Amino acid sequence: MTSLLAHIDSLGRSVTRNLEYTARVLLLVYLALRATILDKAQGFRQIVGVISAQIYFTGWQALPLVTVLALATGSVLILQALTNLSLLGGTQMIGSFLIVMIVREAGPIFVALVVIARSGTAVASELGNMRANREIEALESLGINPLSFIVFPRVLGGIISVLCLAFYFNFVALIGGFLVTRLLQEVPFTFYSESLTRAFAKDDVFIFILKNSFSGMIIFIVSCFQGLSVKKSPHEVPQVTTQAVVHSIIFVVIFNLVVTALFYLNQLRNLGVI
Amino acid sequence: MKIESLKFEGVSFSHEGYDAVIKNVDFDFPMEQILWVKAQEGAGKSSLLQVIAGLQIPQSGQYLINGENVVDMSFEEFLPFRLQMGYSFDYGGLINNRSLFDNLVLPLLYHKLVTPEEARHRVMDLLKIYDVEKYAHERPAHVPGRVRKLTCVMRSLVMHPQVLLLDDPSVGIGQDSTYVFADHVHRLRKEGYLKHIFMTSYDEKFMGLFDYQIIHLDEGQLYFQTVDPDKKVVHL
Repeated sequence: MTSLLAHIDSLGRSVTRNLEYTARVLLLVYLALRATILDKAQGFRQIVGVISAQIYFTGWQALPLVTVLALATGSVLILQALTNLSLLGGTQMIGSFLIVMIVREAGPIFVALVVIARSGTAVASELGNMRANREIEALESLGINPLSFIVFPRVLGGIISVLCLAFYFNFVALIGGFLVTRLLQEVPFTFYSESLTRAFAKDDVFIFILKNSFSGMIIFIVSCFQGLSVKKSPHEVPQVTTQAVVHSIIFVVIFNLVVTALFYLNQLRNLGVI
Repeated sequence: MKIESLKFEGVSFSHEGYDAVIKNVDFDFPMEQILWVKAQEGAGKSSLLQVIAGLQIPQSGQYLINGENVVDMSFEEFLPFRLQMGYSFDYGGLINNRSLFDNLVLPLLYHKLVTPEEARHRVMDLLKIYDVEKYAHERPAHVPGRVRKLTCVMRSLVMHPQVLLLDDPSVGIGQDSTYVFADHVHRLRKEGYLKHIFMTSYDEKFMGLFDYQIIHLDEGQLYFQTVDPDKKVVHL
């Protein structure tokens, strides 16, 4: 009995801790947005400068890695789909299968993982070092709000980067993957492209924007939050960086899962199954 | 905005998990003075300066600037006061991914206090005064520690504030630069800037370059001590 109560107590504490963490992260989103709106001094040029730097580091520099990942994912999925769907006599379904697998599911997750690994860690450690080196306090002492000067441009730049990277990932996975597959198996392009076009619906655009924009926001706001949570010493920086990665992955995966689940439940409801 | 008074009413401040730096302090800071903030090592001189600069928020009491309680003010509400305050840390504080020039010019351009051309002139003049213009376009990690500390001190002066708060400014800047700094401060004060100066320092020789008064921070309380200019250095 005592053991059961202890487990319930531990579970309750864990849930409370995670809810509190989520609330703090959401508060940071609000404060960064508010600071940016109220910051009359911050010029358009300054904010665009930081956003474009973020897009360069997060989006542009990640292209080679995303290319390799997208080509591999696209090729594997197309090859597997063609082989297995042929056996089942459903080759016509290739478009629907790839749109679901790449655009709706694999794309957002893979791009988010690449961005977490490359840019989430960079942002968390950069801000952590800025905190330890008193750069954040220095900005405040100069009347520059770190939330509007540092956090908001990184989050906005991150969202734009993730959206662009996800679009690029989908394109390379669907087209590049097809070209790689052509080396191994003869597939007519018209058949492939028509199948994709038929399968593509406006729901896919909605899911693409929803999943990728929120993933971008989650990654960068969590990374900024962790970076800014450094108290004094540089030894905390690697710790907060690791926490940024862990929390970002958990939040992104849960968010993707919830969106997918809600979307398919809605589809089943529309079909009258539930 | 003119800063006319700085006053603590029942102010207490402590860092989380540490003893209080100031406890229920009522203190009317003397204005238009150079105030030497003295205390034992680790008593909280830097924290006191940060509270005065609005970088740390007291847990209780009222901090009144021109009679307005600034404790509950938002960042934006406090900004007009902040722009009249220059603050220099005892270490660190420069933005590492910007050159020394960009560090110095940032507040002027960000707040559009002067034209970009005037900002550039002001910063280059400042770098020339301290004879470090050759490092202007280097980043903090690529310059000697002395130049880093000097840049931090220069940045607190660049906006020509009314209130200047300096945490151990003489440490690590070199003997010659302390004289240049003292001359520069006297000149700016004659021009009507830096009216109220707060400095912490263990360097009596350096402080001897100024006509200062003393504030003691002792066991969480502040005490004011006037100093006869003829017997400036007080050994305690």
